[in-house]
Amino acid sequence: MAVATPLMDKLKILADGAKYDVSCSSSGSFRRNRDGIGNASSCGICHSWTSDGRCVSLLKVLMTNSCIYDCAYCVNRRTNDVRRVMLTPAEVAELTIGFYRRNYIEGLFLSTGVVRSPDYTMELLIEAVRTLRQEYRFNGYVHLKLVPGADPLLVQEAGLIADRVSVNLELPTREGLALLAPDKSRDAVVAPMQQVNKLIVVNRAERQVSRKVPRFAPAGQSTQLIVGATNESDRQIVTLSEQLYQRLDLKRVYYSAFIPVVADTRLPDRPTSPLRREHRLYQADWLLRYYGFSAHELLDDEMPNLESDLDPKTGWALRHLELFPVEVNRVDYETLLRIPGIGVRSAQRIIWARRQGHLTIDDLAKLGVVMKRARYFVTARGRYAGECALESAGLRSRLVSGPAKKGAKQLELPLAQPLASDEATGLISGEL
Amino acid sequence: MAGVYYYDGTFAGLLTLLAPLLPQAILPDAISIDPLPQQGLFAEVMVVETDQQVVEQLWAELEQRLTPSCLKLIRRAFLAGQPERELLICRYLLLAWQVGKKISGLLAHPHVAPLWKLSQQVGREAHRYRGFVRFQEVQGGFYYAAIAPDHWILPLIAHHFAARFRDQQWVIHDTRHGQGIVYDRLRQEWLILPMATHAEPDLTQAEVIFQELWRNYFQTLAIVERKNLRLQQGKVPLKVRPWLVEFT
Repeated sequence: MAVATPLMDKLKILADGAKYDVSCSSSGSFRRNRDGIGNASSCGICHSWTSDGRCVSLLKVLMTNSCIYDCAYCVNRRTNDVRRVMLTPAEVAELTIGFYRRNYIEGLFLSTGVVRSPDYTMELLIEAVRTLRQEYRFNGYVHLKLVPGADPLLVQEAGLIADRVSVNLELPTREGLALLAPDKSRDAVVAPMQQVNKLIVVNRAERQVSRKVPRFAPAGQSTQLIVGATNESDRQIVTLSEQLYQRLDLKRVYYSAFIPVVADTRLPDRPTSPLRREHRLYQADWLLRYYGFSAHELLDDEMPNLESDLDPKTGWALRHLELFPVEVNRVDYETLLRIPGIGVRSAQRIIWARRQGHLTIDDLAKLGVVMKRARYFVTARGRYAGECALESAGLRSRLVSGPAKKGAKQLELPLAQPLASDEATGLISGEL
Repeated sequence: MAGVYYYDGTFAGLLTLLAPLLPQAILPDAISIDPLPQQGLFAEVMVVETDQQVVEQLWAELEQRLTPSCLKLIRRAFLAGQPERELLICRYLLLAWQVGKKISGLLAHPHVAPLWKLSQQVGREAHRYRGFVRFQEVQGGFYYAAIAPDHWILPLIAHHFAARFRDQQWVIHDTRHGQGIVYDRLRQEWLILPMATHAEPDLTQAEVIFQELWRNYFQTLAIVERKNLRLQQGKVPLKVRPWLVEFT
């Protein structure tokens, strides 16, 4: 039942160009459905997962893959020999509604190559979203890309009809950007981010006074960094993220392990940078946002890169053994969060549950604590449950490989091959 | 007295069953919906008829003895498609009769933790199905979706879909439990009704095109260099795939 239409061809090409943008979240906004279709759920909903394990939440598509820029890392660069197509704003709206009515998607993620001028392109995007919002009375989630260099007035307009806006920083360092994206300057990228941040702050203050003021980008702004296309260290990346969260109040920084989509002599000649590194960066990112860590605690001059065989929190704990073990029945929430194997949820549960009585080691596992890691760093009612002393030299290797499993081992069949390597299975690109 | 208890399978029926047991601290040997004669050979068998008055009395008492979140926990766990759910609820309430509101903090207690886990499973499945429902536009102007969840999640997802798709006529059919949500666009109301399996739905022309568009889009979206089928299968288990357009 093949239905070949011009629209199908365009969708394929434009989805192919948009898929390297890893932002997928549909959370953080709240929009009610008034006499139309759709709402934005504050928790975010994933609708499917592709064969690379990434979730599909939004219709992620480009308006056009034509571009006046020539960025070396990008599949849509001017000098790349690919077919160029363009969707009309009406087509974008029609596709979005058609998919949304069937509950395939949570909303729209609209990005684009730059045609004619940044202003012209930005206007096209806004027109598509306006069609959705006004003609179709669509109240679902919309993530809109800001075109670097677009007029501030257009940026303001975009934020008023979208739930989230974003500009991709792409390369963590100024030098990297100059090398790989000679037409883009760092300032052209950072300026709209600063502007959006200001508008969000102003909007928040105005809404304190009157709730009738329309929300500006209620789900905030995000950005993306390509990891491994240039030679920056994890320390530079994590420090940059920390600044983005603190100074520009970003909601998310996404990391994308570099995949060479185009051959270019400016790019470092290397295999695809490991997905493991991307995964560790996301873990460090979570530590910054939810666990009260700062970048300099995780990485410093002596250790510029995250360890690949240990998660960053366990790595930090091993470097600070003098702080452990801690008594889970006594320490505060902030300290609980710093224990490897205890996350936000389990820390909250511990706080809640210990009001009714002292917790034992066995209780911890029932509350969702990962004892495999936590057992070496805690005591409960004064009891320590680690299989080796905290100071023992073998602790590190136990944490890397995990304690030996009790009981009989399953025989390994010589023909059985794992579907995916261990390195890849830990990957997450999901939302919290 | 302990024994095997039978009830009609409704939450009200379970409450009627539990009402006399809780004050006397009696734990039944088993609570079941379908009477199976061979099980009754040696055990005492009791068949309980739902009594609305008893239900209202007990519910009022539960509201006094427990916090709202505990009540939510019980209602949610009751939706689980797990045979021990009734006994777990009974054990939980017996404990509540002893300790009162303190029970909300006893997360690791052996009579609380299993129920809490069950309730979480139900909640998680309900959340997943907010994404896994796939509507098909059928001749006659309405949207039909079939699902087969493990737990009885229809009451948990109905509100979400009613708020979101209020301007279209739709049906979500739970083929495993033989029930469906029917939404009426004009009156903006939904109902959960018993529903039998129909013949193949008669799709509209637009539906065929959109399904094909979606399949192609979905295929294109995967990045070949990052292929990770194990992760995908963890997120989209094989059992839900027959109902997902992009996997058929």
